Amino acid sequence: MNPQGRWSREVVAVLRKELRTEWRTKTGLMTGGLYGVCLVLTVVFALINRNVNYFYKATGDHPLQDVCASLIWSIVLFASLLSLPRAFLAEEENGTADLLRLMARPHAVFWGKTLFNLFQTWIGGLLLGGLFVAAVGLDVRHPWLFVLCLLAGGAAVAGAVTLCGAIVAQAANRTALAGAIAIPLLWPLLQWGVAGLQSAIGTGLLRDGISAATGMVCYAVVGLVVGPYLYAAVWKS
Amino acid sequence: MRVESLGKRYGRRWLFRDVTFDLEKGQRLAILGDNGSGKSTFLRLLAGLLTPTEGRVVPPEGDPRARLGYAALEMALYAPLTVDEHLALAADLRGCESRADELLDMVGLDHARSLPAAQLSTGMKARLKLAMAVQTRPTVLLLDEPGAALDEKGRALVARIAEEQTQRGTLVVATNDPIERELATHEIVLE
Amino acid sequence: MEELKKALFALVAGAVTVWTFLVPDAPMFNAPEFARMFFWHFPCPIMLTGLIAAGAWSSYRALAGGSAREVWDLRAVAAFELGLIYLVLTMGTGMLFSKYQWGAFWSWDPRQTSFLIAMLMYGAYFAVRSAFADPEKRAANAAAYMLATLLPQLFLIYVYPRLPSVMSLHPSSTIMGGQLHGGYLYVMLANMAVVGVLTVWLYRLRVRAGLLLLEPYGNLEDRRRPAGPRVVRRSVPLPHEGGADR
Repeated sequence: MNPQGRWSREVVAVLRKELRTEWRTKTGLMTGGLYGVCLVLTVVFALINRNVNYFYKATGDHPLQDVCASLIWSIVLFASLLSLPRAFLAEEENGTADLLRLMARPHAVFWGKTLFNLFQTWIGGLLLGGLFVAAVGLDVRHPWLFVLCLLAGGAAVAGAVTLCGAIVAQAANRTALAGAIAIPLLWPLLQWGVAGLQSAIGTGLLRDGISAATGMVCYAVVGLVVGPYLYAAVWKS
Repeated sequence: MRVESLGKRYGRRWLFRDVTFDLEKGQRLAILGDNGSGKSTFLRLLAGLLTPTEGRVVPPEGDPRARLGYAALEMALYAPLTVDEHLALAADLRGCESRADELLDMVGLDHARSLPAAQLSTGMKARLKLAMAVQTRPTVLLLDEPGAALDEKGRALVARIAEEQTQRGTLVVATNDPIERELATHEIVLE
Repeated sequence: MEELKKALFALVAGAVTVWTFLVPDAPMFNAPEFARMFFWHFPCPIMLTGLIAAGAWSSYRALAGGSAREVWDLRAVAAFELGLIYLVLTMGTGMLFSKYQWGAFWSWDPRQTSFLIAMLMYGAYFAVRSAFADPEKRAANAAAYMLATLLPQLFLIYVYPRLPSVMSLHPSSTIMGGQLHGGYLYVMLANMAVVGVLTVWLYRLRVRAGLLLLEPYGNLEDRRRPAGPRVVRRSVPLPHEGGADR
């Protein structure tokens, strides 16, 4: 088998393992997914008895329109920080890291787990973002930009948080540390993300939204390219 | 396999230093020592799971994932994955054929193919790890306390595997068991 | 000779400090006499730039592994410790300047905010270091994290505040735009030289102190001397060799 074929076989094997494990244990769903849904409901509680739809249609001003972009990103980010680092932390906690180190190459492991986290973030981001918009009754002026920002931002979050999880997987207080060290890396991304969603909702200029989405795509690409090499350097004990 | 001036330190404590030897085909090396002397650490260094503080391990030629086989009691399996899935995962990652039928028949786990690892007994897990270790027909086989969780049939299996391994390459066993010690042609004692 | 150098440096630093108070007040500032803060504010991010470069290179070398990993890790941590101090000084002097010039200690100005995020990255770096007891793992993982944050740091500190779409109160072309001239320029350059010498001296001192602390773990030039437990290797013939039955 040619080297490319072997590499893709390894990546797919790791991805398949992650998907199987998640399907059977539902860890990501129970942590990030449930947490995200609870956050959305918490926001909705603030709008009960305010007849949002009536006043929104009458005046065109939604009570949350200035902050909903930040709220959506807060929900997506913190749900991701709960579930994504587990890709590497769980290997060390369950003692299966050695098994993986014996059989696999670091780049293939990183890509397999990052792809899994990417799917998790995309599905979670789109579902939570869509649920938020539906629950608060918000009109999205540019749905394509809304989806693009969530996908690009999700890719960047997946890359950065996966790498942080990989770095602290062997640390003493790994669970708390993974999220904590990821946050400074993600602040530039959050700024773009909020600007992008504001444009998509219609409270910002479209061109600002497009440049924000471009920034997020570049951030994601850099993170995903550099990540495997940094992981390979800390791969062994 | 060649080991040159191998040393490993944790914090201020040196487990061992300046260890040098060559392993030839057909040799079987036993690593002996008291609890905490560093037998498992030594084996993990040979397997490439740890980075040495000093010196180096020169593995056999070729892809180390195919040339080295390793099984240890404390090595965990993926609880949700079945026996078959473990072998398939190992084969995909190492780029070899799964040989599931042959291996599971050899280790006596044919009846447990679709059981997830969480439902396997300690002895069954040890057998699965042995199967995964010999899947690629490795040149060097590293076993850490292979008989610790096995019954008499399991120990006989280990002896058979050791014999086959001698025809193929070398065997390194970390053990305190006097029966497993007898499998060896050479010893290293960590004091 | 060393004492003479230190005395000379102290003299020059003192003279430059006095000089900063002798230049006339800057009339275009809201608080003209406070414009002098610039002489202490400006060198800090410049030194920080050099320390980021030194730290990033040392982190890369530490990550590459080898027998000198701990030494490169020491150089990296020395650079980042000093870098953090300069970052805090940049923020502190900047906040004082902001109070007198813009009316508030903190204006959520893009440049202020980007430095705050960079400071959080440094904090996270030291958090990663404290999470590993093993020095080799600590060196490798801390270096990996710092290299992961390098591009965002550079973007936040040098690119983001200068983007056309970003409205910042902070001036960006004071030196290159020729806005500084006369006495102010000479004082600034002299102070930059003093702070530069101080930075290099502190960095080398920190590295030397760290090397001394590495001594108990095994002299770096004498790693070949065995100091661990004995390892005995002997041949044990199999019981059935030579035709004997078991």
